[in-house]
Amino acid sequence: MNKLLVSPSPHIHTRTSTASLMRDVVIALLPAVIVSVLFYGWSELMILGVSVVSCILLEYLITRFLLKGKNTVCDWSAAVTGVLLALNLPATSPWWMVLIGAVVAIGVAKMTFGGLGQNLFNPALVGRVFLLISFPAAMTDWSATKGFISGVDASSGATPLGIVKEGGIEALGNVDYLNMLFMNIGGSAGELSAIAIILGFIYLLARRVIRPHITLSIWATVFVFSGIMWLVNPAEYTDPVFNLLTGGILLGSVFMATDYVTSPMSAKGGIIFGVGIGLITMLIRYFGSFPEGMSFAILIMNSTVPLINKFCKSKKYGRA
Amino acid sequence: MKKTFSIGGIHPNDSKISTNCPIEVLPAPSVVYISMAQHLGAPATPVVAAGDRVRTGQVIGEPAGFISAFVHSSVTGTVKSVAPRKDLAGNNVMHVEIAVEEDEWVDGVDNSDMIVREIPKDNKVIVDRIKACGVVGLGGATFPTHVKLCPPPDKKAEVLILNGAECEPYLTSDYRIMIEKPEQIVIGAGIMQQVLGVPRAVIGVEENKPKAIEALKAAVEKLKVLSASYSRIEVMTLKKKYPQGGEKQLIEAVTHREVKSMGLPIDVGAVVQNVATSLAVYDAVQKNKPLTTNTLTVTGDCLPGSKQRNYLFRIGTPLSFIIEKIGGIPEDAVKVVSGGPMMGKAISNLDATAVKGSSSLLFLTAEQTVRKPESNCIRCGKCAEACPMGLEPFLLNKLARNGMMEELEDNAVQDCIECGCCLYSCPANIPLLDVIRIAKGDVIRIIRGRSAKK
Repeated sequence: MNKLLVSPSPHIHTRTSTASLMRDVVIALLPAVIVSVLFYGWSELMILGVSVVSCILLEYLITRFLLKGKNTVCDWSAAVTGVLLALNLPATSPWWMVLIGAVVAIGVAKMTFGGLGQNLFNPALVGRVFLLISFPAAMTDWSATKGFISGVDASSGATPLGIVKEGGIEALGNVDYLNMLFMNIGGSAGELSAIAIILGFIYLLARRVIRPHITLSIWATVFVFSGIMWLVNPAEYTDPVFNLLTGGILLGSVFMATDYVTSPMSAKGGIIFGVGIGLITMLIRYFGSFPEGMSFAILIMNSTVPLINKFCKSKKYGRA
Repeated sequence: MKKTFSIGGIHPNDSKISTNCPIEVLPAPSVVYISMAQHLGAPATPVVAAGDRVRTGQVIGEPAGFISAFVHSSVTGTVKSVAPRKDLAGNNVMHVEIAVEEDEWVDGVDNSDMIVREIPKDNKVIVDRIKACGVVGLGGATFPTHVKLCPPPDKKAEVLILNGAECEPYLTSDYRIMIEKPEQIVIGAGIMQQVLGVPRAVIGVEENKPKAIEALKAAVEKLKVLSASYSRIEVMTLKKKYPQGGEKQLIEAVTHREVKSMGLPIDVGAVVQNVATSLAVYDAVQKNKPLTTNTLTVTGDCLPGSKQRNYLFRIGTPLSFIIEKIGGIPEDAVKVVSGGPMMGKAISNLDATAVKGSSSLLFLTAEQTVRKPESNCIRCGKCAEACPMGLEPFLLNKLARNGMMEELEDNAVQDCIECGCCLYSCPANIPLLDVIRIAKGDVIRIIRGRSAKK
């Protein structure tokens, strides 16, 4: 007879693993990926390819040759960063810019901190913001590329939020919300379709990958804050629905703010985190010099996570 | 609405494969080895010597302290030896070895199947019988039952809770006794209710055992006609959530009261007993029958359906004998667990014998049980979400690995109930409970040392 295994309890384990969770995030991103490829065509496919491949390759090279440690590519987290970075860039981005973004995301924001689980800031967002500051023109070139299916009226070359920031609310003209739900006007690839992102959100919730606190508190804060401002002065401030559907609020709130590593552990902490992101985003949009503020808001709130974790403890049994 | 505890918990597949296997009497082996340490507290002192002839139900070990219990012979035969022998964890424990002959019960034991419904009026008689029959808690901790039924005079019991949750996956022994001996269990509850003088008794059963709930309810209805006191016994349906049967979790689910850190259930007026203990109390008080048998589930996904069992076994039966009866260890099993997969103990020694508190032999395959390599914590918070005590296992793990004892105490490591929810849930396969369990032991020692100095 073979020898028996002896180890402490518990003797069984959930099937969920880091890799399965990250793979679920990639699956949840698929609707948004498909929509962006359909509408932006080959150039979007190139961006996705360069981003994902370089993120994975960089993590492999760094773990293999610089850190000489365990190869962590199989946990799918580099793939998640790659897809998210790609969805955060204009479809016109040249390949070398995507590559620089990947180097910053994986090399600087993730691996220098010690790899998955150690980074303070969301890697994809650090990559995006680095590019936004370094190449402001290229990063706001929203002219449409040729897609596999036509119908995008994104030829204007500016995002709705950009138009508002430039020419005020009257420059925007009439906004077709139904159109925005399915295929937004110009913007990052990931901002194209609200429905695609919400599908991903539902998938993540159903698979219990994330809890809804962070995402919903961002939406609620954006809605309430912009709702109040809009009611006070509709000529000056954009309306709540418009704000929810534009400028990466959806993509950011579902996929980036909910990143395990850079968000608080507890539900209570998640709500504080979400409210903070919503408020900072709206303050930047209404009063800042950037047309949108989601990336900055998430990064700023990322830095508060250790503090939030320290002060937002869940209720313990038998202790008042 | 179905009741449950409010913090944490997990939902593993309940895998109750042996649920429809009726309790089968396991024949006595040719030799039994009866352990003197089958209860929490001081091991019993053997009162027989090699060469003695003992009858079934005869005392062979006497309590060696306040928290200790009588041990009885589960067979008739000749004592071969009284010597240390390895238990299932490999520790040396005093055992009485008896060569088995034809059963011959000690005098005064009612061995019939007739149900005795009249409860003795004198509580002292009841407690003495429970003590004399060696009844201990069969839910896992094997705490001597007579001690638990006599709370200190400054504490007042208000509710008796019978634990029929059986929240551990795979286990079905409690389920089988609940549907096969529901009336005895309810009478046992009535006895304990009378001793404690509590106005209320609740039998908590998880929702995945509707037949047990039905059977217990029917038993209560039937007994109500005989005595009004049974009308205060309530059968409560609990949600299926692990660890529903954890003492603290069950108390909160039933009474909405939380036992303070380092406190005892009696502090909030609760006394919790397992349904199997209730059955043992019935046998002791109504039939004068010592605790020499218990029900044990033999199960596992790798065990074919025809080999799944719920056995009524005699204490002292070698585990290897039970395994032989089902045709040996299944080929792809790599681990044999005594108890449930969440809190049971892996057996290192199959020559060990079944004890009063044995509830199962569970076979697990490599795919089910071999730990995967640990990777980085991704701070998903799933461990904290799962912890039924509201602790932060990710934090305790880090503090423990850095030896930060004060911080561990501040973050309540001593409250850990070792249910395993954190380790079960961790996607990065971090051995959270392994680390926390050691830290908890250290911190409790520090706390005890401090209060001893005062």
